[in-house]
Amino acid sequence: MTKVATLAEAVASIPSGVHVSLSGFATARCVMAFAHEVIRQEIKELTVSQCVAGMDADILVGAGAADRIVYGGGSRGRTGQHYCLRRGIENGTLITEEFSSLSMTFRYLAGSLGLPFIPIRSLRGSDILKRLQESEPSPVSTLNDPFTGEEWLVLKPLIPDVAVVQVQVADEDGNAWILGPRWDNEEQVKASKRAIVFTERLVSTEAIRREPERTVIPGFRVSHVVHLPFSAHPTSVYKVYDFDADHIKQYADASKTPEGFQEYLDKYVYGVKDHWGYLELIGGMEYLKSLAADPVLGY
Amino acid sequence: MTAELEYAPYELMAAAGARELKDGEIVTVGLGLPVIATFLAQRTHAPNITIIFELGVVDPEPIKVAVHGLSDPRIWYRAKVHTSFADMLGSVLHRGLVDVGFLGGLEIDAYGNLNTTLLGDPKGKFRRFTGSGGGNDVASNANRTVIIMRHEARKLNKAVSFITSPGYLRGNGERERMGLRGGPSRLITDKAIFGFDPESKRMRLESIHPKTTLEDVLSNMNFEPIVPGDVPTTEPPTAEQVRLIREEIDPDGMYAG
Repeated sequence: MTKVATLAEAVASIPSGVHVSLSGFATARCVMAFAHEVIRQEIKELTVSQCVAGMDADILVGAGAADRIVYGGGSRGRTGQHYCLRRGIENGTLITEEFSSLSMTFRYLAGSLGLPFIPIRSLRGSDILKRLQESEPSPVSTLNDPFTGEEWLVLKPLIPDVAVVQVQVADEDGNAWILGPRWDNEEQVKASKRAIVFTERLVSTEAIRREPERTVIPGFRVSHVVHLPFSAHPTSVYKVYDFDADHIKQYADASKTPEGFQEYLDKYVYGVKDHWGYLELIGGMEYLKSLAADPVLGY
Repeated sequence: MTAELEYAPYELMAAAGARELKDGEIVTVGLGLPVIATFLAQRTHAPNITIIFELGVVDPEPIKVAVHGLSDPRIWYRAKVHTSFADMLGSVLHRGLVDVGFLGGLEIDAYGNLNTTLLGDPKGKFRRFTGSGGGNDVASNANRTVIIMRHEARKLNKAVSFITSPGYLRGNGERERMGLRGGPSRLITDKAIFGFDPESKRMRLESIHPKTTLEDVLSNMNFEPIVPGDVPTTEPPTAEQVRLIREEIDPDGMYAG
């Protein structure tokens, strides 16, 4: 059965107010085309989650599509903080449930395994934990190990409504390969009720069957497959294209102020009809070919 | 007569970081100086260390260390394994297999508690920064941590605004009572190297870098470390270490100056 859908169709399957788990990590495999379309379709009140914040979460929060984030922190590295997240946290408009990379991973893992809770050695003694204990209802508690009697911190599982994941290769059923490091993506998908896959290449199921050991996301977990080139731009997709340093700098500079960020949205999100319009606006194939990854280097 | 070896402060800090690693150990590395220190150790006395990056990279051999962040694929080049958080931070770090974790931060206090989250009043006006990422996990689960920071009074503080990554908390066994593994073993700054008193767990001055005075070290901190009677001078990098950093590890001089 084909699950291939257009960007607009896949995004239209997401109602306002749901919890969406995003595959981005800083400036790698962020679901940017998805985020732009969510903003254009005026979907609101989303909860977004991921281990380490990506540009996908930042733009969704900045544009007012997401008003709650569950994550482990994160920045863009040398190109600075995620300024929309920073503003939302500083002025209190963004509801934040903050963990660490591993505690987020464990929450997804518990969700994926159908466990009621998961013990962890992280967070204890930190102000991160203090805040989580103060929140209502709290996603953390303690429990004594029935075998040793030792007290453990336990976390509530995380079960997002939808995981939205940028991959390199998928078939029309959603069987997908993630090349390179996978950070929390596998646990995110398996914890979520369903997944939407954005793929750079759409291949036959026969091609998947010839190298099934590469399949990280099985098709039966996937509701929509969107085949869209450069759907993570300006972030990178390992072995397909590098991140666009110039465009990221432009976003970084613009997003430092609400006015600059609004101008960015007006130009690159609201100012185009769809992803194809966006790709034309940034320079089309003539420009994008400069970002193509070298097969040896992967970037 | 040979001329005195010229080196930059960061080269001394990288050499000091490298000395903290023993051959055969598993090391978690963030970006910046820890990467240079770890590659330096690997090219000198510790060829058999294993390097892991939290997002799922084992033993990379990057052409450039001057990268945008952990998500920059340049730092994943020629890795032996591409895997996941659940693997790196879970089955390696949480399991207890990480010997040394490198950490940095906005602020540190006398017990090695680190802040990477915010500056100011958490319940009032504050400036938001990165948060934990894998920092809290490394601080909680590694068998020891080595912290590298710039030596400034506003960073070496009496109390931190927010404990993102616990050190020894308030000392005297509080960390152990929390069930946390390991703890900070060293703080390396651009002026000195510190350890932690085995009993009180308070920071203790171990050595002062060449051309730096005790007064310079203490006047640029907002707490009093334990100062032993006789504080040695930090061993400077060797000519070979400086050559390796400049010619092989960081030829672009990203961390120079």
